[in-house]
Amino acid sequence: MTVITSSPTSPHQGQRPDRRDSTFRRYLLQYGLLIALLGVSAFFAAMSPTFLTTANFASILVNSFALPAIIAIAMTLAVGSGGIDLSVATAVDLASLAFVGTLAAGWPVPGAILAGLGAAALTGIFNGLLITGLNITPFLATLGTLFIGRSVQQVLANGGNPVYLSSSKLPAAVKFLAHGSFLGVPLPLYVVGFIALVAFILLELTIFGRGVRAIGARPQVAYFSGLRVRRDIVWIYLLSAAISGVAGILLSATVSAYIPYSGNAFLLNAIGAAFIGTTFGARGHANIIGTILGVLLLAIVANGLLLVGWNFYWQQVGTGAFIFLILAFSFASKRRQQRA
Amino acid sequence: MSVSYGTAAVEQHGSFASRTMPARPARRFLHRGLLRTGSLLVFIAVFTAFSLASPLFLTFANIVTVIGQSAVVGILAFGLTSVIIGGGADVVRGGIDLSLASNLGLGSAVYASLVQAGYGDAAAIAATLAVGLSVGTVNAISIVSIGILPLLATVAVMNICGGLELVLTQNTAISVSTPLLDLLSGTDRFGIPFLAYVIVAVAAILIVTLQYTAYGLRLYAVGEHREAARAAGLPVQAYVVSSYLISGLCGGIAAILYTALLSGSTTGSGEMLLPVVATALLGNVFSGRLLPTIGGTLLSTLLIGFLANGFQLLHVSSYWVSGIQGLLILSVVAATSLVRRRRS
Repeated sequence: MTVITSSPTSPHQGQRPDRRDSTFRRYLLQYGLLIALLGVSAFFAAMSPTFLTTANFASILVNSFALPAIIAIAMTLAVGSGGIDLSVATAVDLASLAFVGTLAAGWPVPGAILAGLGAAALTGIFNGLLITGLNITPFLATLGTLFIGRSVQQVLANGGNPVYLSSSKLPAAVKFLAHGSFLGVPLPLYVVGFIALVAFILLELTIFGRGVRAIGARPQVAYFSGLRVRRDIVWIYLLSAAISGVAGILLSATVSAYIPYSGNAFLLNAIGAAFIGTTFGARGHANIIGTILGVLLLAIVANGLLLVGWNFYWQQVGTGAFIFLILAFSFASKRRQQRA
Repeated sequence: MSVSYGTAAVEQHGSFASRTMPARPARRFLHRGLLRTGSLLVFIAVFTAFSLASPLFLTFANIVTVIGQSAVVGILAFGLTSVIIGGGADVVRGGIDLSLASNLGLGSAVYASLVQAGYGDAAAIAATLAVGLSVGTVNAISIVSIGILPLLATVAVMNICGGLELVLTQNTAISVSTPLLDLLSGTDRFGIPFLAYVIVAVAAILIVTLQYTAYGLRLYAVGEHREAARAAGLPVQAYVVSSYLISGLCGGIAAILYTALLSGSTTGSGEMLLPVVATALLGNVFSGRLLPTIGGTLLSTLLIGFLANGFQLLHVSSYWVSGIQGLLILSVVAATSLVRRRRS
């Protein structure tokens, strides 16, 4: 890191910086997130003997990685299209409410899952229509949806009260969904893996994904190139909401309850991870691998700080400061690169 | 990112059309006027409807109480407005300060802890304002010197402030009572809450500074077109820094009022963030050219305050308030984009 922070810019104009040095720096920048992840892991492994244990990693992955990762993937779709989706929180909550509500009413599990996904998808369609039909910017449209979603929850859940599923009513399939494992790997991780894979293929390997990236880079050019911008945007927000809905269903399966506004807790970290993820790779656009690394980094830092003996409150400060440092590092070197 | 999808083309065609066809200023004026009058009409309609529906609404005591209760959110929204003025209206790349609510939480925690530790009001006020200004400084440095996107920089600062607040309070409410806090949470002999005076005073100072001085005009220039402002010789970065300092200071002032209103510091100040963002953005429609203005933000703060109060008086469930706030934002923004499209 010292290579970058020392000032390599030459004082004489016209004299080009050393080419090998700049290639090295470019790689360092592109894979900085991965390097940070490894560095942080090595640091915590040296500081705490429990860090590098299978049990600890399993706990990180299940407890503080799976759900944030799903929501961050949803956010990545919106960020990749040049927008942002603040209402992922609403989609999480509404999916959870619909899932728990229908289960409590005696629906079978597949029906309840469909109801949850459907409720989440509604927020996505609403966003898509606001953005494409009424030309509201994504930030404001999804902010509005977030507010409306709050009211909807209060009205439907009797003032925003939690809905608990009594353990007698809890179907075995729901317990399995949250706590089961297959081949030694917990089920939620399969869900994350599946969603990440689908989203990766969709964004990186399909025509749809290329279109979305074009829209994210230059919406006007995309429009004049004949892309069906509006249709793609509606799809993006629909997918973003549906993926968040999966997180909502997993969340309520884990705690066997609907807890109002619980989605809000994920929102800012998802935004952080998606944008931190844009620093990964050469092109600087939102990408699934970068996002996953970002979520993993946040989860590992939070876990590691706890293990080295920071209490929960200082851990919040540490995580915040750490995100800040990563952002500062990546934006400062990007700026330096642009100047060079 | 402020480019609205698909309308780009429509706007382009619109501008071709206006070049070939004679301009119709009257119609343009009509649209713009309609929106501004429209938003004022909404305000008046809300006011009249509640006055007719509840005899308690249009009373002096009720109105000044609502103004007083709006002080905390309002002053935070003023801070955000100044940042949006200096940074431009694009929410991701332009000016935004998401650290405001946790700045308030941290400031309030500092105030309460200092009083609890035996310090007086003067020291606590100084420390709280210093916290606000430092948060503003950190935001400014990270955005202007390091070049982090404002949205991300202020989210990170928000997390740090939220964490520090937890460290200070250990996630408990600290209740304190001092002569100044009692005074601020009370009313004067006409029954006007002191908080109402504070919000009016802060609004007046900011309106004068941002709307009627050379500094304010230049801040708008920096926000509207940074390159042009730079070409005109303005120290652009200094102006952006100053807008974040104003915002941080507003966070500090709001923290003192919040501590007075709740007689102490409580957890959960972060809940205030999205209402503040919504209030500041809603303020645009109350200005003639759909720009962020302090006066507009004041009106939107009061509109939301009166809405919540009116519903309470009518025994409409408070469940609907945030939904109506959301619909209000959406309809206002949709109307704005419609007018913008017509205009170009």
